[in-house]
Amino acid sequence: MNDQRPRILLADDEKAITSNLAPFLERGGFSVTVAADGQAALDGIAALHPDLVILDVLMPRLDGREVLRRLRRAGNWIPVILLTQVGEAAERALALEEGADDYLNKPFDPSELVARIRSVLRRVTPGQPPLASAWQLACPPEAPGQPALALDRRSRRVSLDGRTLDLTPKAVALLEYMLTHPGELLSRERLLDAVWGWDYPAGTRTVDTRMAELRRALGDDPARPRFIETLPGEGYRFVARVVAA
Amino acid sequence: MKITWRDLLLAALPAALAGVAATVLRLSLGRLAVLLLRADIGTALVLLGSSLSLFLLVYLGARRAGIARSRAAIERHDRESGEARRRFIHRLDHELKNPLTALRAALANLQLALSESDRAQRVGDVRLQAERIGRLVADLRKLSELEERPIEQLPVDLPGLLEEVVEAARSNPAYAGRELRLVVSQVPWKLPPAVGDRDLLALAFYNLVENALKFTKAHDPVEVRASEDGRALIVEVADRGPGIPAEDQPRIFEELYRGANARGFEGSGLGLSLVRMIVARHAGSVSVRSRPGQGTVFTVRLPFDARDRAPVPAAG
Repeated sequence: MNDQRPRILLADDEKAITSNLAPFLERGGFSVTVAADGQAALDGIAALHPDLVILDVLMPRLDGREVLRRLRRAGNWIPVILLTQVGEAAERALALEEGADDYLNKPFDPSELVARIRSVLRRVTPGQPPLASAWQLACPPEAPGQPALALDRRSRRVSLDGRTLDLTPKAVALLEYMLTHPGELLSRERLLDAVWGWDYPAGTRTVDTRMAELRRALGDDPARPRFIETLPGEGYRFVARVVAA
Repeated sequence: MKITWRDLLLAALPAALAGVAATVLRLSLGRLAVLLLRADIGTALVLLGSSLSLFLLVYLGARRAGIARSRAAIERHDRESGEARRRFIHRLDHELKNPLTALRAALANLQLALSESDRAQRVGDVRLQAERIGRLVADLRKLSELEERPIEQLPVDLPGLLEEVVEAARSNPAYAGRELRLVVSQVPWKLPPAVGDRDLLALAFYNLVENALKFTKAHDPVEVRASEDGRALIVEVADRGPGIPAEDQPRIFEELYRGANARGFEGSGLGLSLVRMIVARHAGSVSVRSRPGQGTVFTVRLPFDARDRAPVPAAG
């Protein structure tokens, strides 16, 4: 029998997690192999060539970050989801260099992990560095007269047709997250968790406020968006094509 | 930190002794000059030697007292932080016990569930308790992150921010129809901006407003007031609720502390600790005044944006 399901390597030393998560992922349409530590993960990747790897950070022998570093150093751009949170600017720069395709913070909902796996698999070009690890991101014009958007992640500079935009650090971080997750439905809760690092009942308004700031600066019309689309009751989606520049 | 009589005594004693020694030295120096003028070198040397040894004695005594005092302060600080840590662990244990007990009960019932609807009910219970523990963990993480991470330093328009917070509370179905007022002082000048992280300040004020609504009855009014006194921006969140007992007031900002009137209410027990942490990271302060049976006022003071100062009161 030829198994066409995407193959996932799940590395976590907590058996209570893997023994429940692996069957859940299998039911979600993936073929799952479990590794109990970092070294076992590296061995498993070399032997099985999975389509995607899920790495916990704190593991015996080799931690998840070290596994990721070794993979990338060897030029292996296999998609990786790291089970941790990326918070502040310094940490974000570090995360950029470490080159994970996505991050998910524990505790998470298993269905959220399935959604992330699907979108990472959709997004990646096999053998290519992910958008998440590019220092420069851009949206080239798709039609005559459309402005080009560019983000330099090192200097935190955003420009529209070469003109630097005056944005708050939070708005830049929000744009950065959307540019590295194009085409994905981003709920306000997810944006709060990923960009702000915290969530609270009225926090969704905070997201809307910054999104409005971003749209004004980008000159984006919510009714006919070129960059940011609103999905009523669900969240936002970055709709323009993003390339690593 | 509390100052005891012992501290005062330990601080005052060396100072007093040093004062006496200095006087003796000054007097003997005067006497010395007279003796030297008379060329009575022997007496002059004896006087100089004895006053210097007296000074040395007092100095050593003062130093020893100083060392003992700082050692006592360190010991007391260690003891206090040890006590705070023990209290925190005790409260954490308590906060985890309840959802875990509920979780085990729900799981036991799940095993015995006969009908599909019963099963769905138990699964719902399990999810609810998992979410409750999740909220606690998330708030603990927020607290520890806030302690260290750098925060934005941008001008923040306080009235606009409070408007948003009040709107958010009004749109919460749990507080529909509540009397919630926002009063912003406008005359003679508009409030100058605060400085900091707008989103974190919104979180702090939302916590205060939500507490005011949560711990009071449906007919109790809540008022948010913003003003300035020339030295700082002042935001008050006031309610006409049951109040906070005097013995609880000094403790309510501690992590996981629950006052007598706060038991039986939903919440992680970390809301006010978050408020205190956020305000402190903005170089501000938060305090509480409360009268049981009458109500409670939380007062947050935040510094102005140094680039845009309001008129300062003249010194009297």
